Amino acid sequence: MPIRRLILLCLTTWLLMLAGAAHAQLVVVVNARSGVAAMSRNEVINVFFGRTRQFFNGVETQPVDMADSHPDRARFYSALVGKELSEVNAYWSRQLFSGRQQPPVKAASPEDVMKLVLSQPGGIGFIELTKADARVRVVY
Amino acid sequence: MARTTSDQLEFVRDLSQPSGVRKHWDGRNDSVFGLQGSWQIDPRLSAVVQATTKYRYDRTYNPEIAWAYLRYEPTPSATLRLGRLGTDFFMMADSRWVGYSYLTVRPPGDYFWYLPFYSINGGDAAYALSLGESLVRFKAFYGLSNGQIPLADRQWDIDGSPMTGASVEYQYAAWQIRASYANITFKNDLPISDILQAYSPDPAASSRYLASRDRRSDYYSLGVVYDQGPLQVQLMLNRIEQGSNSFESSEGGYLLAGYRVGEVKPYLGYSWIRSVQRNTAGRQVIEAKIMADAHADQATRIVGLRWDLARNMALKAQWDSIRGESTSIFPYRSDPASGQWSGRMDVYTVTFDFIF
Repeated sequence: MPIRRLILLCLTTWLLMLAGAAHAQLVVVVNARSGVAAMSRNEVINVFFGRTRQFFNGVETQPVDMADSHPDRARFYSALVGKELSEVNAYWSRQLFSGRQQPPVKAASPEDVMKLVLSQPGGIGFIELTKADARVRVVY
Repeated sequence: MARTTSDQLEFVRDLSQPSGVRKHWDGRNDSVFGLQGSWQIDPRLSAVVQATTKYRYDRTYNPEIAWAYLRYEPTPSATLRLGRLGTDFFMMADSRWVGYSYLTVRPPGDYFWYLPFYSINGGDAAYALSLGESLVRFKAFYGLSNGQIPLADRQWDIDGSPMTGASVEYQYAAWQIRASYANITFKNDLPISDILQAYSPDPAASSRYLASRDRRSDYYSLGVVYDQGPLQVQLMLNRIEQGSNSFESSEGGYLLAGYRVGEVKPYLGYSWIRSVQRNTAGRQVIEAKIMADAHADQATRIVGLRWDLARNMALKAQWDSIRGESTSIFPYRSDPASGQWSGRMDVYTVTFDFIF
């Protein structure tokens, strides 16, 4: 009986961890010095697709994207605009090769995202909620 | 790679190409290779150079500097560029050769055939205005054109022809709407003086009547794009007013819709072009013949599939079914001998696009 209970406990814990990993929420964070407290979905889209280069208060945005190889990137764009990475990359190839604008810098890991967001007042990126600390503000 | 169902005329991507596709598979017209480099000189100033090689007006693949410019951003919402720039006469016209960036195998011809201009030596200024969640962008450009347009076995030199234009764009969530105006004032007449000398009873009068030098062509366009999740819809309309009697004013457009299922995106489209014949009553026979060369009246049904098979690679297959009048010969190369053109043609195309 105790062994069975132990197995059940292990199983439950494991399932909970799995569920936790799958649902670890991605949030948009900004440098706490940016003066931005909250953003709407459309404002976030405008920043990450380079449509606007300023926050509402005039601070210049410094978006931080992630490398294709990191699973957070696909999750982020899927949740934000319902797009596959191939579509996001097609968008940026048009922007880049028609000479309109350069894509945002790309971080390889969530730690790099934090580092880059903190390096400039207008830094803005996406990470899992559990990885955000007091130096950044969750805006979306 | 493309092939058509007709040997009567050659299918080209746009009027910058001297010859095109017939009944056998041909890779010339849709192939391009490009390299781009950019340098961030300081946070506000950058330089961009792009070189491309593709089938061009003189039947060679000689590499060209597509653009080379300095970009200066005095504020985050304003951009100034100076040098050799892409022109966006119509929405998406400046990325017509970036196959990976769009859905179809090539930009719809009925809409873009008349636009053989790709770059100017000049400058442009853009300003983005943020209105809460929506954005308005203004842009204006001025420059001298850089290029040649092939006509049969000759080339029409449009180098140095002044071009100017402006556009306003509104963007909100999945919607993007853009209206634009642009014009070009041609620097030279068409290379037809020897033909007029040989066939016109009054070559000087014919030459004056068909002059394109110092004549202006006006381009108006309206584009609407809806791009939400797996769904993408584009509607584009244009109106071109030709100042020279050698060309016919026209109206064209296209409607394109694609829906992604997994990594595959099937799409359907419909495009059209119709030009207005000028009155040739009382004109010389040779003048009327030259003017008839500029007629277009046709529509195209488009069915295709884009498959994003791997990271930064896409394979596309498309069927264009062109149905038009037998007088609709302006978009093609090689005149049909004695009106053999049926006005009907199907084009099958397979492309492989990649970025690196």
